[in-house]
Amino acid sequence: MEKYREPETIIEMQNVGIRYDQGPEILSDIKLSLKKGSFHFLTGKSGAGKTSLLSMMYLQQRPSRGSISVFGKNINFTHRDGLAMLRRRIGVVFQDFRLLDHLSAFDNVALPLRVCGMDEREVRKRVTELLNWVELSRHMQDTTATLSGGEKQRIAIARAVINRPELLLADEPTGNVDNDIAPKLMKLFVELNKLGTTVVIATHSDKLINDFAYPQLHLQNRSLHIHYPSEISRLGGRHA
Amino acid sequence: MPRRVYTPRKQELPLKGDNTSIFLQVMISIAVFIFAITLSGVLSINSMLYNWNRSILGSLTVQIMPVNSANKEKAAAETLAYQEKAVEFLKTVDGIVKVTPLQDEQLKKLIQPWLGDGVNIDNLPMPRIIDIKLAPDADIDFAQVAQNLAQASPQASLDNHKLWLNKLIQFADGLKLIAMTILILVTGITSGAIFYTTQMSLGLHKNIIEILHIMGAKDTYVAQQYAKRMAFLGGSGGIIGLFFSFPVIFFIGSLARQIEGGIISEANLSFGDWLVVCSLPLFSLTISMTTAYYTVKKTLQKML
Repeated sequence: MEKYREPETIIEMQNVGIRYDQGPEILSDIKLSLKKGSFHFLTGKSGAGKTSLLSMMYLQQRPSRGSISVFGKNINFTHRDGLAMLRRRIGVVFQDFRLLDHLSAFDNVALPLRVCGMDEREVRKRVTELLNWVELSRHMQDTTATLSGGEKQRIAIARAVINRPELLLADEPTGNVDNDIAPKLMKLFVELNKLGTTVVIATHSDKLINDFAYPQLHLQNRSLHIHYPSEISRLGGRHA
Repeated sequence: MPRRVYTPRKQELPLKGDNTSIFLQVMISIAVFIFAITLSGVLSINSMLYNWNRSILGSLTVQIMPVNSANKEKAAAETLAYQEKAVEFLKTVDGIVKVTPLQDEQLKKLIQPWLGDGVNIDNLPMPRIIDIKLAPDADIDFAQVAQNLAQASPQASLDNHKLWLNKLIQFADGLKLIAMTILILVTGITSGAIFYTTQMSLGLHKNIIEILHIMGAKDTYVAQQYAKRMAFLGGSGGIIGLFFSFPVIFFIGSLARQIEGGIISEANLSFGDWLVVCSLPLFSLTISMTTAYYTVKKTLQKML
C-alpha cells in the first residue's frame, strides 16, 4: 500500500499580525497553511484586511509580528535576492491592475519573463500565445493606458500567469471583465490549479463562490476562518 | 490574424522623461568643463616641472661678472681672460664632463626678453656665462668648487640653480594642490548631485519599482536601468563639457606661449596629457554610472 504523503506547504503563517505605523492591528494571530495544489477564495468585507493578507503572501510587506514561510523559506531570514527568487514563483493579479501604462500590452505581459532574463525569442513566443488566448493580440503594441478596464484586467491576468507560477494570488480578478470573459478566466485559474498551481482568489462575488466549490479563507474581526464547501452551502453561500 | 510587428523593447522605468535628466546633463557638462581646464592646468604644471628638472638636473652655470673699466675693449678682454681661467679650472674638476662658454649671440638672446627690444645690448657691460654639464653620477662638493673657482678666477661665481628652482617647485606644488582640491570638489559635488537626483527619481518611480520587485526583479535589475541612463547622461554631458573646454585650454596655452623665453612657455601638454584630458567623458560616464548603480542598490535595501 502506497504511503500517504502530505502535500508540500506553499505558505505557512504563524501568529501573524499586521499594523500600519502606530495604528491598531488589522490582522491578528493569523494561522494559515496553504498546501500545494490547493484552491481557496479569500473573502471578507471591504477593509477586513484581504489586500494586506495578500500583500504579505506576495512578499511586499513583512508582518508586524509572527512568521511567514513561503515555499519553505522563512522570509525573515531570507536575503533580498532570495526574496526576488521566491517572488518569481508567484503570480499576482491586482484589483487596480497595476500595469505600467507607458508600456505596450506586450511589454507588460513580458515583464515577469524579462526580469528572469529569459531569451527574447522565447518571450515573444510565450507572450504572443497568451495574448491570443486572452483575445488581446490586436492590442499587443498598444500602451495599456489606451485599453478598457476589462482589457487591462485580462492583461494583468496574462502577466500573472505568463511565468507559470506555483502560487497565483488574485485580488478581484473578474471584477472588471464582461460576463462572457469571467468564466473563461476562471477556467484558466482552474486549469492552472489542475496543473499544480496553488490559487488564492480574493473576491466579493457570490456567483463565483457558489459556482466553484472551493474552500474559503474568510476574514472577520481581524481573524482568519476557514470554511469548506459543505459548510458554505449550509451557511447559504456567503459570510456576512 | 494577429499583428506580429514588434516595436523595440522599452525600458520599464521611464527615466528619459525625468525632469532631472536635463539638469544632470548640464551639471555634468559644467563639471567636465571645469575639470578639463583644471586638469590641463595640473598636467601643464607637471610638464613644466619635468622640463625644469630635465634642463637643470646635471647642469651648473658659472657667471663671470664684467670688469668695470672706462675702456670698454680692455674691460671686455679682461672679462674674457677671467672666463678662460674659469674654463681651465672647471675642466680639471672631477665629475664635470662638458664646459661650454656661451657665445655673444646666445647671451644676447637670453637677455633680450628681459630688457625688451628698445635697449641696445651692445652698449651694456655683459657678463659671460659658462654652461657646465655634470656626469650622471657626479658627487661634487659645490661649496668647495665655488671657493676654488673664486681663487682661480675672482670674477667668477657658481650657480647650481637649486635655490630658485626649489622656490618655483614650491609655488608649482601649491598650484597643483589648489587644482587637485578643485578636481576633488567638482567630482564630489557631481557625485552628490547624481546621488540626490537618483534618490529623487527612485521616489518618483516607486510604484513601478514595486511592480518590478513583485514580478521578481532583483535590485540589480533596477540598478542597471539607472546605471544605463546615467551612463548616457554622464558620457554625453562629458563630451559637451570637453568640447567647450577646448577653446579655453587653447586660449590659455596661447597666452602662455606669448611669454617668450619665460617659465610658463615650458608648460606644454604632451600627447599623453591630451589623451588623459580627452578621456574625461569616459571618467564622467563611469562616475555617473557607478554612483547611480550603488545609490539604487543602497536605497532599495530599505524596501522589502
